[in-house]
Amino acid sequence: MNKIRLLFFATLRERAGTKALDLEIPADMTVRGLKEKLAAEYPNLRESMKSVLITINREYAFDEAVIPPNAEMALFPPVSGG
Amino acid sequence: MSENFPTIFSITEDEIDLNDLLAKITLTSTGAAAIFAGMVRGETKRGDAHQTEYLEYEAYIPMAEAKMKQVADEIRARWESIEGIAIVQRIGKLYPKTPTVLIACTAAHRDTGVFEAARYGIDRLKEIVPIWKKEVGPNGEEWVEGEYIPKAGE
Repeated sequence: MNKIRLLFFATLRERAGTKALDLEIPADMTVRGLKEKLAAEYPNLRESMKSVLITINREYAFDEAVIPPNAEMALFPPVSGG
Repeated sequence: MSENFPTIFSITEDEIDLNDLLAKITLTSTGAAAIFAGMVRGETKRGDAHQTEYLEYEAYIPMAEAKMKQVADEIRARWESIEGIAIVQRIGKLYPKTPTVLIACTAAHRDTGVFEAARYGIDRLKEIVPIWKKEVGPNGEEWVEGEYIPKAGE
């Protein structure tokens, strides 16, 4: 199992009800697998998983990416700065 | 050489100081600066007309600063003429007429792509830099969501 930290921002933070979550995940888990796990275990996040952006160690990551040990991940909606 | 050209990028809760930023990206060879500033619009007329009481910004600060640096690198790769670059986003609770973002590029002359470089900077910030805003108005609050989905390598 790998330890990872999830950070939530904007709508994802409000739906998760927290800014951060520490998880243990299987070593071969992909971004898609994590989305499925979150959708199953956190009903408030299920709807958000369809359009969420995900980063691993501060770079955008996509469904097939395997999550490395001690990853700092973030989940958030499309950005709206400016 | 671009290694000697100043690049400033930051997320701040403080007032954006244009004069200070401009001084930092002005070299003895600089003769032109293109500056884009965005501010909180209290009254929106285009599209869904509405009033805004304030915007509340948040950012994933370490990644946002890294992506601002990436935007600056992309600007330099496209316009070799660019000397200094400043990219600053203010976060927190911001009221109408308050400047929220500033992109400034400097160059020796105005006909070097400096306007386009600043335009590119604000467009890219709105695509890939992790910052969000919640809009609060007379009818309640709503998160503003962008439309851009970053691609691999962005």
